This record gives sequence, structure tokens and C-alpha cells, in this order.
Amino acid sequence: METLLPELLRSLVSGLLMGMVFALVALGLTVIFGVMDIVNFAHGEFLMIGMYTTLVTAPFLGVDPTLTLPLAGVVGAALGLACYFGVVQFLLRGPMVAQLLGTFGLMLVLRNVALLFMGSEPRSVHKGWLVGQSWLVGPGVVLESTKLAAAVLSIVSFVAVWWLIRRTKTGMALTATSLDKEGARYVGISTERMNGLSWAIGGASVAIAGGLLVNFWPVDPNVGLLFTMIAFATVALGGFGSIRGAFLAGILIGLIVSLPTVWDAFIRFAGLGDFSIHSFKYTFVYIIYFLIMVIRPQGLFGWKQ
Amino acid sequence: MEAVRNAFDFSDFPRLDLWVAGGVLAFLLVFPALPHSSFAMTIMIQFLMFSLYGMGWNTIGGYAGQVDLGKAQYNGIGAYTTAVMMVRWDVPFWVSMPVGMALAVGWSFIIGYPLFRLKGHYFAIATIATSLILKDVFEVWDFVGAAKGMEIPIRKNLPDFLYLQFKQDYYYYYILLALFLVGLLYLNAFRHSRLGFQLRAIKDNEDVARSLGIDAHWCKIKAYAVATAFVAVVGSFHACYNFNIEPEDVMSLDLSILIAMMALLGGAGSLWGPIIGAAILVPLKSYLGDWLGASAGLVGLNLVIYGGIIMLIAAVQPRGVWGMVEAALARRRGDHGAA
Amino acid sequence: MRKLALLLTALMLAALMVPGLALAQAKEIKLGAIYPLTGGAAAEGRELRAGVELAVEIANGVMAGIDMDMAKNGGIKSLGGAKITVIFKDHQGNPQLGADLAKKLIEDDKVVGILGCYHSSVTKTVAAVCERFEIPMINDSSTSPSLTKSGFKWFWRTTPHDTQFTKDLFEFMKGLTEGKAKGVPAVPVADIKTLAAACEKTEWGTNVSETIKQFAGEYKFDLAANLLYAAKSPDLSAEVQSLKAAKPGAMLFASYTSDAILMIKTLQSMKASPKLLWGQDAGFEAPEFVTTLGDSTVGILTRTVFTPQVAQVKKVAGQVNELYKKKTGIDLSGPSARSFTGLHAWVHVLEKAGSTEPKAIQAAANAITIPGEQLVVPWFGIKFATMGDDIGQNTLGTGMIGQYQKKGDKITLEIVYPFNLATSNMVYPFKGF
Repeated sequence: METLLPELLRSLVSGLLMGMVFALVALGLTVIFGVMDIVNFAHGEFLMIGMYTTLVTAPFLGVDPTLTLPLAGVVGAALGLACYFGVVQFLLRGPMVAQLLGTFGLMLVLRNVALLFMGSEPRSVHKGWLVGQSWLVGPGVVLESTKLAAAVLSIVSFVAVWWLIRRTKTGMALTATSLDKEGARYVGISTERMNGLSWAIGGASVAIAGGLLVNFWPVDPNVGLLFTMIAFATVALGGFGSIRGAFLAGILIGLIVSLPTVWDAFIRFAGLGDFSIHSFKYTFVYIIYFLIMVIRPQGLFGWKQ
Repeated sequence: MEAVRNAFDFSDFPRLDLWVAGGVLAFLLVFPALPHSSFAMTIMIQFLMFSLYGMGWNTIGGYAGQVDLGKAQYNGIGAYTTAVMMVRWDVPFWVSMPVGMALAVGWSFIIGYPLFRLKGHYFAIATIATSLILKDVFEVWDFVGAAKGMEIPIRKNLPDFLYLQFKQDYYYYYILLALFLVGLLYLNAFRHSRLGFQLRAIKDNEDVARSLGIDAHWCKIKAYAVATAFVAVVGSFHACYNFNIEPEDVMSLDLSILIAMMALLGGAGSLWGPIIGAAILVPLKSYLGDWLGASAGLVGLNLVIYGGIIMLIAAVQPRGVWGMVEAALARRRGDHGAA
Repeated sequence: MRKLALLLTALMLAALMVPGLALAQAKEIKLGAIYPLTGGAAAEGRELRAGVELAVEIANGVMAGIDMDMAKNGGIKSLGGAKITVIFKDHQGNPQLGADLAKKLIEDDKVVGILGCYHSSVTKTVAAVCERFEIPMINDSSTSPSLTKSGFKWFWRTTPHDTQFTKDLFEFMKGLTEGKAKGVPAVPVADIKTLAAACEKTEWGTNVSETIKQFAGEYKFDLAANLLYAAKSPDLSAEVQSLKAAKPGAMLFASYTSDAILMIKTLQSMKASPKLLWGQDAGFEAPEFVTTLGDSTVGILTRTVFTPQVAQVKKVAGQVNELYKKKTGIDLSGPSARSFTGLHAWVHVLEKAGSTEPKAIQAAANAITIPGEQLVVPWFGIKFATMGDDIGQNTLGTGMIGQYQKKGDKITLEIVYPFNLATSNMVYPFKGF
């Protein structure tokens, strides 16, 4: 027992932290979807660009990488607006398939422009307050600075977005747009501007996440896709457009991906051999996604199918 | 009998379409006899493979309007059935191909039933999930070679028509072309079939379709099975053509997405759309990669152009290239009318 | 308008018919090299290409100051001084594309033989094409053991494969406990008896994982954790936690570049402290591994076939490395030294064949022995097996194990195994992060 319990505790903490990271990355996606029913294939590329922004500007400005987060946010917001007014608004005329096609093209363009300018080799931030810091707490529980910061940022930004949408006039206009476009237009809301705003918020939030994550994660032009798939599953599991749902689904996925460690600890404790299930880490995410969706086709907290 | 008549009934197309289609068909038939580079031949084979993938995808994605991003799993089932049967029991391609098709269709019924409870984006992401789950299983399943995949041994006497092993690519080409024509005729019949009409009704408005007594859920599952059969056949062919398959290669997410993108780009929901999509994207990708990709300094530019074209077409005409053609034609007719 | 659009489609198809350029010159021998010049392994591809290009330059020219036969002949002597040209193709890590390019090279460009392809999965499909067309292929850099198990008659591999590399690791650990490692007194067996391995879960890593399991049994080590993970993963903390929980003396990895970096970073932040940390080449040897991780790499072991330190024990390696450095600005490394050696083997085979007929080349390749002193890599030489269960495999190749060490303010990869080639005292135990 004395080996099993600390191991469980460690997995729980690590799973929670990772879950909040996933939630943070997925936040922008759920905002955009909530307002305009569009899945952005290029979401991970926004993250990648946020990462590069911090990587490049921090040494250039001579400040700590953490201080460049607002800049990453500005870049993300600008990029979001550019994408919306440059491409996405034209895609809205078409059916869902055209939107997938369009944002898929956008993903290819952004990723490969990064490849052209930054090269394919992975890079990482070497100096900074958060770089390489971690603390041992209690029975061998490790708190990594970057993930801890990301978890804090995750909570803060979820609360902020929730507040924005529920408590401000702009937020109500956003909600109105998402519920009924025609109706929103009748009461004088510019849905075009609301859509643009959602892309700006979505782009900024994920780029800020990228700027923070680059303190730990190495960045290369393909890094986006790794997170995109998880973000898709997170947002869909929580229910498209549900802010609260995305947060809880992120944590659920974080806990699922630490299952193999629990399994390893358990079979070692019980002496059941050494069959490792780490290669199924993400398989469990997809299986649980599938099962939950079949039972609840609108996601955990979604209200529309 | 009516199905056979329908298969050859192209009378609802304008004559111009048929002339062009006939011209393209004649070109496809004589292509190997024309002077060509072997790279062009491999591209033509890719084109035919992706046309078939796309034609299959079109039944569920185009006619039924359900965005399926998990077709790679059926490609894998087809490829693995053929490879496993050939390697372990020495079964010819022509036996293993229908078996693979049957297995894939069976699997599609099993997961299709719960899958079609979902709609829209939920459905699209769930199809990705199922495909990745199956790939992860194949990666650890020793019977099918796990992550190491299956290697089909080369036979002594080539050409071997039973096991589909040839030295020259034109053999593969003609076999694929035959499959392509069968597929095209089948789809033409499908278009006219009861199921085809039901699917279009569902796509237009599912609630209305239901109120007319159409079992939407069951129709979608059937269309999904048709799509699956197409993909599985190409998968079987792929195993023989490549001699070596791995889960990462035949069941990747990239393949699933590429299949959908080609059909979408050409124009989902039309007979010619997927073929046009493959005819544009396959050569574009290969030649851009060969011209720009390999020369240093321009790494990535080929895919920027490729992605840019995809994005542009989606933004200009949501119904893809075929939609552009039809829109242009309609405009011209309109002009004539005014004149 | 409609006509126009349809015409465009037809034109697209017609463009396919442009015949491949087939430039035939009298005194030119064409070889095809298929490498991952773009995509995930583009950095390695660049090095592979540079290695081949340098070897071509040396083979075609007469270079004083390089002590190898290839540098003195000015082309292939037995073919009247014919020059070698290499046509490079980019397979992007895609097996299907690799096979297509091989057909293009064989049929359109009429190459005499093929060199490549780095990724084992691509090498497999390309080798199958070469086998059907009866065109010789020399593989310089794919290490999957299964490649030489198919009994192909037109496929030869110069590099040792993963079984041998993994065996080297266990020989090394055994030697370590016997006090054979330079500068390290005999290590108590209990210190490193417990092992934990994490390998990426595609073809290559799975193979490595199996050989580690096999040798751990043979050499009486205790493999407490042996897990497979997805290289394309945003997070490896669960994996690292399992490795740590096994309380291993040595941690073993088979990783590509970005996951190797993420793995080390996660180990570091989770404060893992094994006594030994070993990587199976690939990611652990990539230049980015050192540039990205910096001082954290000090003490990490990687299997390799070449480090610039080889020059200390082998003169010709130093001479070639100088040239390479002048050309590219970086040192020869695992990929470039092996692709160099691949083309080097081609030169010797052609010289012996005295013909560009496939049959003659096949006979020459099966009979050839290239002595070790000719090569830049520290092998006993090149001689391909013609029977047994490893047909076409070079039987005289050896692997090395290198350790990242800090010399001044530079991090170098010092040789620690084979023990007689050691260029520096080994750092043991691993200092932790």
C-alpha cells in the first residue's frame, strides 16, 4: 500500500495539471465554435505561432519569456482577425464541409509558412523564470513550474471568458449571435463584428497558451497537430460551445492520459506481470469520447446537437 | 435488372459532360501506350486510387452529407486482410479482396450503428476517434505484425495475376482502371437508386425526410457501408501494390483527411466531383513536391501553395471545383437568356 | 466557361505525359539517392545528402591528403574513369512516395543503382521495387533488423542493425560492471541491474524494445519497465512517471528528435535520477538534441556510428571530416558518415564490377571486401553476408556508444565503447538533472 497510494496521488496531480493545460489550449476553440458553429482545423497552428512569438521576441526584447505573453496575445488576436476577415467569413456561406476544407487549407498554409521561415528543427527557450523549474512536494509529487503556471492561467482565463460572456453586454451579444443569428441581426447586433471578436478572443487565448507552454515544450512547425486532436476531443466532449464543459472535459482527458501510470503501479503492486498499456494512452481518450458521445450525443454540457 | 440499366443511364447529364467524360475515358484507356515517364504512371495510379477513395467517400460525405474523417480504418482493414491472407495462407488477391471488403463492411455496421446517433461536428470527430482506436489496436496486435506491419513476399514468376504482383506498373494501372469503371457504373446506379434519393432527402432536411417515413439512421448506415466497400477494395489493392504495409502508413489520420479533402475539393455530392478533386490534387502535390520540395530553401513552399489553393477554392465556391463549373455554366446560360 | 474548366482538367492529365529527362552520357554513372529531404526528418536528410555529395566529390576528383583509394582514382578506374552523378529524391518519410520515386529513378532516369532511404519503412518498399526490377540497392542508414530477413538478392546494407547496436549496449553495461570502462572502477552489478526502457511505438521502436527485452534476459538484467509510447504526443509525463516508479539503474530510449527532447525535459522536471541514460541513436544523436537541451545532455549516452572524436583514433576520418566541415560548417555525424560510407561502398562495388550491368554489380557486391582502413567509420570493413539469415548485411560493421561531455564550453560526443577506442574518461554515474 505504501507504494500504491503515493503513486496514485502523483498520477492524480500530474493528470490534473495536464488536464488544465489541455483545457487552456481548447478554450479558444470552444469560444469560436460557440459563436459560429465552425471547427477550426488551424487551431493548433495558432498555438504554434504563439510559441514562436515568445521564442523569438523574448531574446530580442531582452525580457523574460513570461513577459511576452501579452505580445503573443496581440499576435494571436491579429492573426485571428486576419483569418476571419481574410478567409473564414467567406466559408460561412457554405455547408460544414466547406468550412472543414477551408480551415484545413489554412492549417497547411500557416504550418508551412512557419516551416519556410523557422526551419523544421525543434527549438526551445533556454532562459526564463519558468524554465527548468520544478518542486518536489509531499510524497514525491512533482509540481512543474510551466504546467503549474499553465494551470493557473487556465483557471484565470476560463473565469475571465465566462465572465465576459455571462456578465458583459458584448458577451450577451456574442451569446445572442450564437443562439440565433437572424434574431441578433434584428435587434441591431453586428454579427460580423461578433464573429470577428470571437476569432480575436479565440486566437489570443490560444496564442497566450502557446507563449506560456514554450517555456517547457520544444516548438517546431508540426507541434500544433499534437494539440489540435486533443483540443477537438476536449471541446466535443464538453459539448461544443460550452465553456464550463471544455474545462471539465480537459481535466477528464488529463486524468485519462495518466491512466497507464496507475495501471503500471497497480500491476506492480499486485504482481500481475509487466504488460504496459502506455501505447494506448490516447486510445483511451478516443474510446471514452466515443462512449460518452453515444450516450450523450450533445456532449457533457452541450445544449445543441 | 433495373440497377444495371441505371448503371449505364447517363442521360440526365448534358451532352458536353458526356463528351468530356468520354474523352477522359479514352485518354485513360490509352494512357499506358502514350509516351510517358514512369513517375507520371505512378501519379496516374495514385489518381485512380484517390478517385476510388473519393467516389466511396462521396456516398456518405456527399450524397448523405455526413462528414466522415475516419475512412483510413477501412483502408487498413482491406489492406491487412489481403496481406495477412496472402502471407499466412497464400490466398490469392481475388479471394482476399472480397473477404476484406466483407470484413470492412461488417465492421462499419458495428460502429456505424452507434456512430450515426451523432451529428455534424460530433460525428466528424467521432469518426476520427474510431479510426485512431483501430490503428492503435493494429499497432500492438501480433497476428497482423503489430507495428512492424506485414511484408508480402515477392513471387517467383512475374507477372502473377492471381496474387497481383507485377514488375511493370501498367498491369496495376489497368486493374485499377477496371475497378474504377466498375465503381463509376455502380455509383451511377446508386444515384438513381431508392437509397440515393432517400439520402438526398435526408441531406436536404432530415426532419422532413423522417416525416415521409424514411428511416434516416438506417439509410446513413447503408451509405456508410457502401463508402466502406470502396475504400476497403483500394486498401487491398494498396497492399499488393506496395508489398509492405504498416499501420502508420495505411491507417493514418492524414489519409482519412486527404480522402475527404479530395472529394470535397472536387465537389461533394456530384458524380464527377471526387474524380476532378483527385485529378487536381494528386498531380499538384506530387509535382510541387518534386519541383519545390526537394530543392533546398523552399521547403514548405509547395505545401503553402497547395494549402492556399485548397483554401481559395473553399472560400470562392463551397461546392468545390465542380460547383464552380456549374455556376459558370449557369451564368452563361443566364446571359444567353437575357440576350 | 464550362468548356474551359473541363479543358483545364484534361490539360492537367496531359501534363503527366511529359517524358522524364533521360540524359545519357558516355562516361557517367548515375546513382539514385532517396532521402527524407523535407518533412519530420528534414534535418537528418540535409546531412545525409551532404555526406553523399562529399563522397561523390572525393570519388570523382583526385585529392591528395586523403588516405583512401577512392580519393586517388578520379572516377571509376575500371570503367575508364567514369564519373559518378547522384540524383537526389525526397521521400518525405512516405513509403508509397519512396516506391514511386524509385520507379522514376530506375525507369526514367535509368540509374545504375539506388542508395537510401533512412526510414526503415521507406527502405522496405524501395527494396521491394528494386527486387522486382533487379536493380541493386545499397542501404546506408536504416537499422531495422527485418530489412535483411527477406532474402532479397538485390539489397545490401552497410550499417549494422539494431540487434547489433542493442547487443553493444549490453556488452558495454557488462564491461562497466567488470571495470573495463575507461576511468571508471568496476560498478557494482546491483547499481545498474534494474532497467527501464521507453521506445516509440512504430516499426523501429517496437523492434528495439523487443531486442532490449531479449538481451536483458540473456545478460541477466532485470527489465522492470518496458513501455511503448506515441512519438507524436503532446505530453510524456505519464511515461516518465512509470519509468521513475520502476526505480531503474539505467534508462533506455528509442526516440525520434522532438520526442527525445521532450522526454529529457520531462525527466529533468520530474527529477529522475538513473545512473545511466542511453538512447538508441536517432533523436539522441540529432544536432538539435544538443542545441536545444544544452548542458542537460552532459552524461547522456547514445549509440552512434560516428563522432568527430573518431579522428583521434583514425586519421582518414579526420581528413574527411575537415573537408566536410569546410563544406557545411558542421562535423560529420551518424547520418552523414553513414551516407558517405554508403556511397563509398558503391564506388568500391562499381570498381570491382567493372561494368554497369546489374548482374555484374550483384556479383561484385556479393564478393567484395572493403578493408576497414579505407572507411571513415571505425568498422573492421565491409563484407556482405551471402548466406545465413541476414543476407546482404555487412558482417564487419560495429557500433559505438558515445557520451556527451563538456569540454571547455563545448559539448562533444566522446567515445566510451568499444572500450579500446575510448577517447575520454567516462562520466559515471549520470549526475542527474
